[in-house]
Amino acid sequence: MGEERRLSMVAEIIRDHIHLEGIDQYLKSTGIKESDFVPIKPADFSGEIFAVDGSNAALCGWMTARVNLIRAGYAVYRGREWQSTAITFDDLFLADPLLCQSNFDPYLEHYFGLKGIDLQESDLDRLSSYYREMQEYLAINDALDHASPGDIILYDGSFEVFEPLRAVLSVIFHRASNREVALLAVSKSSSLSWGQEITLPFVQHTALAGSQLCPGQAWCISLKDKNLAAGQGGWGGQSYVVRFCGQTILAFRVDAPAYLSRDMEGISAILGNLADHSCSAECMGYPHALFRAHRDIRITEQEATGARERLWARLLEMGIAMGQIRMLMLDYHDILEMKSRF
Amino acid sequence: MDGERIRDPPSERAGLLERRVMEKGETTYRIVSKNVSEYHFIVPYDLSEEERAEVGQIFSVRDGSLTYLARVLNIEHSSNYDGHWDTTIKGTNFFDSDQIFNLVIAEPLGCVNEAGEFRKSRTLPTKFSAVKRAERDQFRFLSQVMGDIEVGYLRNGTRLVEEIPVVLHSEAMDHHMGVFATTGMGKSNFMKVFAASCMRLAVRGESKFGLLIVDPHGEYLKGKAAIKGLVHLQRYRDGLACYSTDRQNAADPGVEELAIAESEIFPEDIALLYEWSPPQRDALDAISRIFDPGSWLEEIKTGEGMGRMMQEGFKDSTVSVLVRRIKNELERNKYVKKRSSLANILANLKRGKVVLVDIPRMADRSELFLLSVISRYILDEYKREEDESRKNCLITIEEAQRVLGAGSNTARFESIAREGRKFGVGLCAITQQPKLIDKQLLSQFNTLVVMGLGDRNDRNQLEESAKQDLSSMDIEIQTLEKGEAVISTLNIPFPVPARIHRYEDYLRRLEKEPSDKSIPKGGFKPFLE
Repeated sequence: MGEERRLSMVAEIIRDHIHLEGIDQYLKSTGIKESDFVPIKPADFSGEIFAVDGSNAALCGWMTARVNLIRAGYAVYRGREWQSTAITFDDLFLADPLLCQSNFDPYLEHYFGLKGIDLQESDLDRLSSYYREMQEYLAINDALDHASPGDIILYDGSFEVFEPLRAVLSVIFHRASNREVALLAVSKSSSLSWGQEITLPFVQHTALAGSQLCPGQAWCISLKDKNLAAGQGGWGGQSYVVRFCGQTILAFRVDAPAYLSRDMEGISAILGNLADHSCSAECMGYPHALFRAHRDIRITEQEATGARERLWARLLEMGIAMGQIRMLMLDYHDILEMKSRF
Repeated sequence: MDGERIRDPPSERAGLLERRVMEKGETTYRIVSKNVSEYHFIVPYDLSEEERAEVGQIFSVRDGSLTYLARVLNIEHSSNYDGHWDTTIKGTNFFDSDQIFNLVIAEPLGCVNEAGEFRKSRTLPTKFSAVKRAERDQFRFLSQVMGDIEVGYLRNGTRLVEEIPVVLHSEAMDHHMGVFATTGMGKSNFMKVFAASCMRLAVRGESKFGLLIVDPHGEYLKGKAAIKGLVHLQRYRDGLACYSTDRQNAADPGVEELAIAESEIFPEDIALLYEWSPPQRDALDAISRIFDPGSWLEEIKTGEGMGRMMQEGFKDSTVSVLVRRIKNELERNKYVKKRSSLANILANLKRGKVVLVDIPRMADRSELFLLSVISRYILDEYKREEDESRKNCLITIEEAQRVLGAGSNTARFESIAREGRKFGVGLCAITQQPKLIDKQLLSQFNTLVVMGLGDRNDRNQLEESAKQDLSSMDIEIQTLEKGEAVISTLNIPFPVPARIHRYEDYLRRLEKEPSDKSIPKGGFKPFLE
């Protein structure tokens, strides 16, 4: 591993994976044409933009369950002016596969009319992620209650979700459509890929191609019928790659439900509204409301530590000694690594 | 967030969605840190000129039943963004103006409880307590701790709080007062306002001390051009006794020509005027032993007198220098006569009047000489008798660094500074160079009126000697404008920012004051009968 030759070889492989030398091969392989890059015209937008995000932090855990602090909510902007940030959930979640039903079903039944889901999941981290996702959908649902026709709701992530939760999304899409609210998901990271021999990053290479084909402009490209390795699909909408601001080279995957993606003209208009909202000094090229939602909703390390300390204090009050707590929650990796996970 | 709750089905909770909403405007004017001795709070960065926070301004923090007061020491640019992230301007501009703010660093002054009582604070306000500019209600407690000599209005930053006059305590005056400012910052104006308030108290029969002002610039008596003098305060004119070396001024009714009798001059008064060699110093010290104290000045000038000195072993040259210098001083100071105004001056001071000794165009050395004679006379007299009806006395010294400087040969003023309080005699030292005043002497001054000092050494000297902590006010003192002052005094719990009244305005106000039946009829006679 330490050999220079070996390192050079690996560096070459990395270069081949990330570097785009000319866009011809990219265009040919993906089936994307120059004309697929549709310029977006930034437009003044008088409506409100809601940005939904969530955050979770592991506080403690043992072999069979885990306690996470989970928070979800949304930030609201009118144009460039922040209006408010609503925290819709801020609580502890006990990830125990046997408690799934009691954790998820009441929410799903009450808000989405669903009779619960069968998660069949024993991975504790994934269980926490699902719970956080569900809380984010509840935040979208809450945002829909407060949005007016013509407003935009942005979700931090993708709609390409785990199948059991697709039913939830379906209800949300339906509500958004009925309320005439534009609902889009913006992914900061995407695993979309292209290439036959090796897996190449699609969004990044599309951003580079767009910079050459539409320099200095915001643009979007529909991924419909393009030749790339996508997710499972079937979530009920259309994906795009969008550059929101002509002054940056960054592009993002944007998912739009079917009711928004019927024609390019309609989605371009919505993205134009977002383009005017994506030129802040704080996060140029990214919809600003998502930046704010991330900052307002994130659980900081200090917060997690504080919550953990309070939890320990309660356990001690109940007569459980610190030594017992440590022993029962011990993962022997902690000993080997000489540090605690929590 | 207890263990029991997280196992509960969500539907059994108080509400499935416990929404918490942060609205715009909640992130400003809040205490964010730091400790008991320093508060940090944030204010919007884009306030209008009128609303901007200023160094020296006092803010109040309401927290339960307590109202904390804190004075702004410094203001910094800050934001909720880490590192230098907020210095990277790209694109159009920052969207989140609420995340960018000014961080105000403030020094706690203390807290006021619901009963309006002020005390030093040993704790700090709850984090995120709302902060607002202190207004008259928060300063109301100050009215209870103010004294009787009004000099200005409370100043909050550059704003005046006219409802709260800044009023010094007469009781603090024998603990000495220092007035410090560079030229043009308003020292003379302050002294006239101070004197006017003293005149008012004297006429109302409320005076607790007599104020002696020796004015070498001729500006206090009649003023100059549009600037008014003390005689223009007609309403309380009876509280002023004037003496002048200027014949024209002395011709005015109510102004006596100043006279000092030769018999009232002591060798020590001559001693402070020159640098003396050790033999000359010895000769000076021997005078009071060799001659009669009442006639030494006459005798030493004669051949016989000089002979008596030489008989004592002093060289001819030494005695000659001594006599020549004495003759020069007598020649220069025409007010040295057979009669004397000193008894009058003393009587007026004891009655609590303002005594103005007007000596326009007098040379520096002569002024010192005169001041020395009068001060020594007053101190000796105050030491001698313990009349309970006698008022204390405050002696003003202009350019005080000349007589209170480290190494100066003016032990007389030093002794007043050190022991005058025992006998009810205080000093009011006026100087633009406090750094030249002896540090130990300066520490005897319990009332400091600081009116803008550009020199760091001057400020350091005051900060090291002040009874109240002025070190944190360095920036404020540096940025004081003409007429503004920071006043540190006994009985007022923290250094008070003030705007000194403009004398002409104050004079107009005093003239219009409603008449008070307690003012004694018949007025004041400047001369003893």
